[in-house]
Amino acid sequence: MEELVKQLIENSSSVMDNRKIDTVEDKPKKRNIFQKYKIKDIVFLAIISGCMLITGAIMPLITQVPIFGIIEIALGLQFSIFPVIGLMKVRKPGAMILISLFCGLLLAFMFLPMFACLMLCAVIVELLTLLIFRGYDKNSACVFAGTIYMPLTLPFLYLWYNVIYTIKSDDGKAVQAFVGADPTFICLITLAVVAICFVGSLIGMKIAMEMERAGVMKK
Amino acid sequence: MSLYNRKINPLIALLSGVLIMVFGLVTATRVEGSYFLIAVFLYLMLFGYYKECFRVLPLYVIVGGIFVLITYIISNDSFSALKMANRFGAIFLAIVPGIGIEPVRMTRNLSQIHTPRVITLGMLIALSFVPTLKIEVKRVREAMKTRGAGSILNPRIFYRAFLIPFVMRLINISDTLSLSVELRGFTIDKSDYTVYKKEALNFKDIIYILALIVGMILVVVL
Repeated sequence: MEELVKQLIENSSSVMDNRKIDTVEDKPKKRNIFQKYKIKDIVFLAIISGCMLITGAIMPLITQVPIFGIIEIALGLQFSIFPVIGLMKVRKPGAMILISLFCGLLLAFMFLPMFACLMLCAVIVELLTLLIFRGYDKNSACVFAGTIYMPLTLPFLYLWYNVIYTIKSDDGKAVQAFVGADPTFICLITLAVVAICFVGSLIGMKIAMEMERAGVMKK
Repeated sequence: MSLYNRKINPLIALLSGVLIMVFGLVTATRVEGSYFLIAVFLYLMLFGYYKECFRVLPLYVIVGGIFVLITYIISNDSFSALKMANRFGAIFLAIVPGIGIEPVRMTRNLSQIHTPRVITLGMLIALSFVPTLKIEVKRVREAMKTRGAGSILNPRIFYRAFLIPFVMRLINISDTLSLSVELRGFTIDKSDYTVYKKEALNFKDIIYILALIVGMILVVVL
């Protein structure tokens, strides 16, 4: 009996030693920036895109209103709240591109140039975030990405509007038919869009942090 | 299934939507553009999109009408108003074939042309999720009423009583859905898969897209 007890003690002490070795070996590994996507990441990003899609359904109603930046002002809030929530749950590079892709493929039917703009801007946002923050680990990186995502579409849409709404009058002169040719107006609209997106990103971050505290943002 | 009842191939429907939008916007500044859009409307109805056409029509009349009216009041020119009506018409008509596409058929079609699984799965979920989302919004609002949370127009109440429970539900649905997707054998790696019900091109699809292109050419030539 005593031998059995001895063996049991030896066995348990050897197990403990092994554990110690394991913990010593568990040095903080250098985390890989580019992580592999899991199905649950894709599903969550797709659901977030679905939300963006529904809230962005007003797009066809406003695309033909010839006012510079009206799309961004109308969509800025929802297009910053939802991506930030998505980025704070799936903190992997490429998440923004996936959100834009899922959402944009369907928004393409409503306004084709917006899809191209969104994809291009998502790539730029990803590159900038990777360069500055090296990924989405920090909350500030998610807020940064959410804030600059929609304002970046402004220069591309400016070009689009200039092509579509520049018509020739009877005397053959080009006429600017869209509101927003004035630089002061453009600056004001750009500032307004950035402000809206920043507020949206902060709301998104606050929601995501509450979810983290509630324990539902499992990775 | 008869040829008339058979739905248009999803990719052909997508292509037609893009063509209608691009051509409609290009010809929006001409009177012929209006004739083209009327012809496309009838043409889409002929090819089985009558439900979608009648779903879009009231929206076009209300929203388009408002903007056409505003344009007319500002410019005092009926031709400018017509151009605005054409632009709205092109966009609303381009949506019609897109509305008619079933998400599952679209996914099958994209899988057949070896689109990455990430894209097909994401698209399928994003499209199929829309009705679920409506139900969830309704449930959260009912819960708000039951709790006597107050008006949704109040930003604080909107955030605390609507947005937080709504996002919570989204995350829970996402977790359940991802488990369900994995259990059904979906993977995002490069493993082989079989599309059991293939979406083949048929005579109706070819006639549909060819006639549309011919119509566009005729508008330019005549």
